[in-house]
Amino acid sequence: MSGLPSLAVFGAAPLFVRPIPAGQRFFPEWSQYEAMFRDIFERQYYTNHGPLAQELERRLADRLSVRHAMCVTNEFIGLALAGQALGVRGNVVVPAHSFIATPQSLDWTEGRPLFCDVDPKTGLMTAELVAPLLSQQVVSAILAVNPWGDACDVRELQALAEQHGIPLYLDSAHGFGCAIAGQPVGSFGAIEVISFHSDNILGACEGGVVCTQNDELAARVRNMRSNYGMGPPKPVVKTGNGRMSEAQAAVALFNLDRYPQHRQRNKRVFEVVRNGLTEIPGLSVREQNGVSESNYQNLICLVDEERFGLRRDDLCRILHAENILAGRGFHPTAHHAYAASHASSVGAMPQAEHYADRTIELPMNHALTERNAARLIDFLGSIQRRSGVIRQGLAEVA
Amino acid sequence: MYAKTKLEDFALFGGPPLFDSIRSISNLVRPDIDRFLAYSRMFFEDECYSGGGRVEKLLEARLASFHQVRHCVSFCGGFWALVLAMKALALNGKSEVVMPSLTYRRLADIVAWAGLTPHFCEVDPVRLCIIAESARPCINDNTALILGVHPIVNCCDSEGLEALSVESGIPLLFDSVESVYETLNGRRVGSFGRAECFSMQSSKLLNAFEGGYVTTNDDALALRLRSARGYGLDAEDGPTLPGMNARQNEIHAAMALAALDGVEQQVELNRRRYERYKTGLASVPGLRLVAFDESERNGYKNIVVELLGDWPISRELTLELLHKDNLLCRPYYSPALHQKSTGYAMVWGDLTQTEALAKRFLMLPCGYFLSEEDVVRVCDYLRAIQTHGATIAQRKESAS
Repeated sequence: MSGLPSLAVFGAAPLFVRPIPAGQRFFPEWSQYEAMFRDIFERQYYTNHGPLAQELERRLADRLSVRHAMCVTNEFIGLALAGQALGVRGNVVVPAHSFIATPQSLDWTEGRPLFCDVDPKTGLMTAELVAPLLSQQVVSAILAVNPWGDACDVRELQALAEQHGIPLYLDSAHGFGCAIAGQPVGSFGAIEVISFHSDNILGACEGGVVCTQNDELAARVRNMRSNYGMGPPKPVVKTGNGRMSEAQAAVALFNLDRYPQHRQRNKRVFEVVRNGLTEIPGLSVREQNGVSESNYQNLICLVDEERFGLRRDDLCRILHAENILAGRGFHPTAHHAYAASHASSVGAMPQAEHYADRTIELPMNHALTERNAARLIDFLGSIQRRSGVIRQGLAEVA
Repeated sequence: MYAKTKLEDFALFGGPPLFDSIRSISNLVRPDIDRFLAYSRMFFEDECYSGGGRVEKLLEARLASFHQVRHCVSFCGGFWALVLAMKALALNGKSEVVMPSLTYRRLADIVAWAGLTPHFCEVDPVRLCIIAESARPCINDNTALILGVHPIVNCCDSEGLEALSVESGIPLLFDSVESVYETLNGRRVGSFGRAECFSMQSSKLLNAFEGGYVTTNDDALALRLRSARGYGLDAEDGPTLPGMNARQNEIHAAMALAALDGVEQQVELNRRRYERYKTGLASVPGLRLVAFDESERNGYKNIVVELLGDWPISRELTLELLHKDNLLCRPYYSPALHQKSTGYAMVWGDLTQTEALAKRFLMLPCGYFLSEEDVVRVCDYLRAIQTHGATIAQRKESAS
């Protein structure tokens, strides 16, 4: 193996001793954590809409300019409750390029996904792409996605939905803190759901918030989640359980207080990496789309195999070996994953395929210091320059 | 010394409430904070907050050993644990779940989330639970699953239901939320049927803030449930089956471990509360304490009484009195599930017995917030109701 480049994937020591994990992972310092939980143990209020969950909901409603911000166990359960509250049935338009959770949430409603391809320039779903589907088929709702601190064509999709008399609701898993023309993500559509999984800027280990301006929809969601006696329960087909505990709310409140610093840090690192990669052929950081303000929580890159010299999957493998836990960005991507798990066919989605095959997500958290970011950029440049011999080496060791 | 001696002493008639703060049927046990912090330290150092972390793995191993079973799969809550276990076990192409109607108020909704239809069976009038004889007549060509549910006190007929499952070829799942600590003929609850489901919501024996788990000896089922709770993805992130996010987070797992560490001590305190109730209620005519089978292991958490024919006032009025005096008691599984209107189909036949039983029982305060002295006060209070029953009823009637 002596002719192989000195890379961890070929047995050399990794670039980073401690793995640089994926996701945001903002969490209290130990002393802060201990104080938070001593408080909770003192109060002996553990779940069922306790004082911390109530405070979190108040502050989120204010921050996101919505009448109802309802915290839930996790974003998936929030999406399922949203679909139930809206009474979706039959076809629901969803983008083909998203995480599996988006179409899968429809398994927990009477709906089923009608996949829509994405815009070749942005990888996002647009009103222009959705419109033909609405005239060809009976559709009961549009479930759009705002991924990666970006926003899709929300205003245009809203207009289209209104024109067809169907609701638009949004999976804005990555969208906390973002704004579209100054208006907070969270306040669009009939219902918008944001994730508080620790991979996101507002982490609560697990968690999410279901937002709406509509009192009737809010009452239905609350009745399914657990109503805690807030107003008369609205009849729903069935109740569920989507409670957020005081433990989750405590961590969310901690991160909410520090949102401006966290965003600022993300932005700084984002810019360092973006500028650094401009010198590397075939590898570029995805610019923000559709937002007037982003949280910069995702460092999404596109790998152009021809110019970079390696396929995305090979680059991912190399980075993992070096202890850089890069992700494949919506892998498995929505339409593939859904088709495979339901043994069904969903038709060709060429643009979604394009993005699914080329997207790589670099880590974005405290472990990626500016110094580490510079090392990562240098490393990526050296990979590109040696791509020919690396490709050969990978073929040999395979 | 605590007894209400005259009518005006009852809060319903203007007296000060028996307790300054609420005594309820929720457990709300407080685990040891230092143990909780020690377990938290593990995920804190790993910077792993959810999804297959070290604390969750330890919890699953500890619970499997506690229940003497091969696998434990943890979930964000007992509700979704049950939904996913039902989906995994239900026979393909069949839709009915044979289950009691005299049970947890959300259980039919859980069946509906799993895309199945409840078929309610009668319960044994003494044990208050599903038994093989009451389940058998409900089995038909469309039966997908038998759902054995343990009652609030003691266990259901797990062995009889296992025999019925073998005889009929229909898979058997248990809702064992109320029987975490129990044994049946000396065998720990947790390894019966194809799987058993538990909750660790803070009102239950083990307080994990929120949480739940499934125990099973079935390797394939455990693998399938692990996949289902994480979007149906396999170990290589490949899609294998429909799923959702029902993962337990690491803080909740740390809490569950701390609670598990303290369970023996807790059960001992519960047993003492139960003994106090036994002594205190022995001298209250018209009330029968539903007794734990002391030849088995019991968690002794829940206290259930039957209002007998000579209890002087209705259950509704009894509850009204209790609530006003800050005793947040609840009727035992009332109304029964088939008596409620829902947005989905349900199937049942003659449930006369269930309907009669749904009117008779009451759950009394229990758990961590209730001292032994409190139990004595509750018993004295119930004795006062019994003493003044006739006058209370008269007074209430003339007021309305």
